Amino acid sequence: MPSDPGPDAASEDWLVAARERVRVFAQYEGAFREEADVVVVGSGPCGAVAAYELAAAGHDVILLEEGPPFTVRDFELDGNLSMTRTMREGGLRMTRGTVMPTMQAIALGGGSLVNSAICVRPPDAVFDRWATGFDLERTNRAELDPHFDAIATFLGIAPTPDEVQGRRNLLFRDACNALGVSSEPIERSVRGCRGSGECFTGCRSRAKQSMDVSYVPAALRAGARVFTSVQVQQVHSIGRRVTGVSGQVVAPFSRGSRRGRSHHFRIDARAIVLAAGCTATPVLLKQSGDLANASGQVGENLQFHPGLAIAGIFPEPVDPQFGATQGYQSLAFLEEGFKLETLWAPPPLLSMRFPGFGEELLSHFAEIPQMAVWDAIVSANRSLGRVRARWRSLDPVLHWAIHPEDVAILRRSLKVIAELFFAAGARKILPGVQGIAEVMTSLDQARILDSDAVRPENLVLGGNHVFCTTRMHGDPTRGVVDEDGRCHDLENLYIADTGIFPQCPSVNPMLTGMALARRQARLLGQRL
Amino acid sequence: MLTALLLIAFAFLVHRRFLSGYAPPPPGLAVLHRGEATFIDAAAEVLFPGGGSLPVAGIEAQLPHYVDRHLAALPRAQRFQIRALLLLFEHGTLLFPGDEPGGRRRFSSLSAAARVSILARLSKHPNRHARLVFMALRAVLTLGYLGHPGNLCALGVAPFEIQPGVSDAELLFPRIGGLVSSIRYEPEDRTDPALLGPLDPHGPRHRAYARAHPGRR
Repeated sequence: MPSDPGPDAASEDWLVAARERVRVFAQYEGAFREEADVVVVGSGPCGAVAAYELAAAGHDVILLEEGPPFTVRDFELDGNLSMTRTMREGGLRMTRGTVMPTMQAIALGGGSLVNSAICVRPPDAVFDRWATGFDLERTNRAELDPHFDAIATFLGIAPTPDEVQGRRNLLFRDACNALGVSSEPIERSVRGCRGSGECFTGCRSRAKQSMDVSYVPAALRAGARVFTSVQVQQVHSIGRRVTGVSGQVVAPFSRGSRRGRSHHFRIDARAIVLAAGCTATPVLLKQSGDLANASGQVGENLQFHPGLAIAGIFPEPVDPQFGATQGYQSLAFLEEGFKLETLWAPPPLLSMRFPGFGEELLSHFAEIPQMAVWDAIVSANRSLGRVRARWRSLDPVLHWAIHPEDVAILRRSLKVIAELFFAAGARKILPGVQGIAEVMTSLDQARILDSDAVRPENLVLGGNHVFCTTRMHGDPTRGVVDEDGRCHDLENLYIADTGIFPQCPSVNPMLTGMALARRQARLLGQRL
Repeated sequence: MLTALLLIAFAFLVHRRFLSGYAPPPPGLAVLHRGEATFIDAAAEVLFPGGGSLPVAGIEAQLPHYVDRHLAALPRAQRFQIRALLLLFEHGTLLFPGDEPGGRRRFSSLSAAARVSILARLSKHPNRHARLVFMALRAVLTLGYLGHPGNLCALGVAPFEIQPGVSDAELLFPRIGGLVSSIRYEPEDRTDPALLGPLDPHGPRHRAYARAHPGRR
């Protein structure tokens, strides 16, 4: 088995050879066909880890990514315009049913390029639920801890240091301390964070260990080939075996238009790992003749961590642009169903739901220097949905409905955030909920947040953690993949993304997805 | 004959309502037509009035150019949705007129007071969908208005001036659209952000932003 190299472990001789194994859009001159031991579809955290592990084990690996690689000079500082470049559907994807924005990145490195690098291990209770509810015997902390540890070492995962927290994060810590609520600096995959607060538009310092600067280069170093700007449109199979994938080259930022597609390609492989993401993998399976769906579970069981946020205004400036994008968290309420975090994003994105217009709106804008934003993500295990393929498209249609019991958790989380803000000395909060007071100046006023006055349709939710659409289950009639990530119906098709989670994990999912991908890649490597 | 006359009259009215009478659009727009650009300025003028706490007023923030750039970058379906929103506001006065004589004129042709009145009604409307339409328009324009470098700098929340890092990604991948052979970085160019330490919270802002607000560093 390969050992995980640190970023400085290899000599520099690999660079020339590695560059030759990279293909970018400008290099495709015609249709092509390739062969490999394994083709990995998707270069997000799970796909990148799988590609590296398999390549390091000596297998011939091709990693495919529909988006382009972004260098620092390709980053767009404007948050909104950045999203149009790095997100599918221009960052404007919404669920139907309970309407909620949800985003999926399209870039080398996937979501890791534009997330805040949070790496949290789920508590034992999550794995206990998975084990008992989904016939899983080996998916627990003891089994996964070596994988968590190896990834943590490789990516330099560590608690966010105080010197880059910034005041808006430390105010959260102080609030938790004042109320006797446990809190801790968030562990992130970052080396040398400078506190620029711009994780969501791409880290210009290159401190964040997104996949494009960590596992993808490691996979190249280990001999993998990386093809970017290629859209996989079909998985080919014969009987119980998949034989390869095919699709087309797509121009960067062609936004799904037919004119952006050009040369066809096909890659034959002994095994395929689908890591296209929880919403794209089921669509690809459906478009490939309803592959791996004897259970009828492909695209079903869609779950989110729906989140909401409150802005608090403090009496004095907090210099909110400085500090880790998400630096502090509290896991104290996990058993109640929610996790609390600090949050920063480009101010125009945070301010879109400020109340009013004209002078009133401008007065809220003027208070941004005194603003902190704290959010909650909810373990919405009861709120289910499904993914369907859009007609003649690989974009998904997402149906999802919030369950009344999960609404109650959201309300409770709102009230707790309000309590924290007032404990920290905020002079007012903007709860961002329709139909109730737009500005609250006291805890008494905020008590309404945990009441039926907060109607579900008036909550402004967001859900970027997506799960369960190809869920893992020990029973082949009730799940799509087994505990090793292998499809029950096919001998050599694996899925490595958050779609295989049997339930939402209650904490940020990136590290768990990577640990599962590492485990299954090692198993697959032995089977090849 | 009568049908033909009616059709001609209808076409005339449609043309007059939807296309004629707009000032020429500002130069450099790729997607927006003159009516949409006019509407955006008319809405920005009342959503983000001048003389307030921010240095750049809505009408000065070149929002038609910002929205144009945003639309150009969006997939067709999302672009259509935003353009439909602009159209709905501009001509929604047919169904929900402004509070003044001639209130059914296009939104952009109404007085500022009438535009304020329409937005106020929508923002507090008992129907949730009406409020959502208002919030959608406000969001689209807020992105450009608050994102204006002059406003972000004035608030002290513009991006920091940072020496761009050089990682393995810069060594391995060209800029978007380029060839691998165009990469000019070598291993010795690699940077280590840990050596640079935390930024100064009051430190200089990105030069493109600072230029728009010379009063700040």
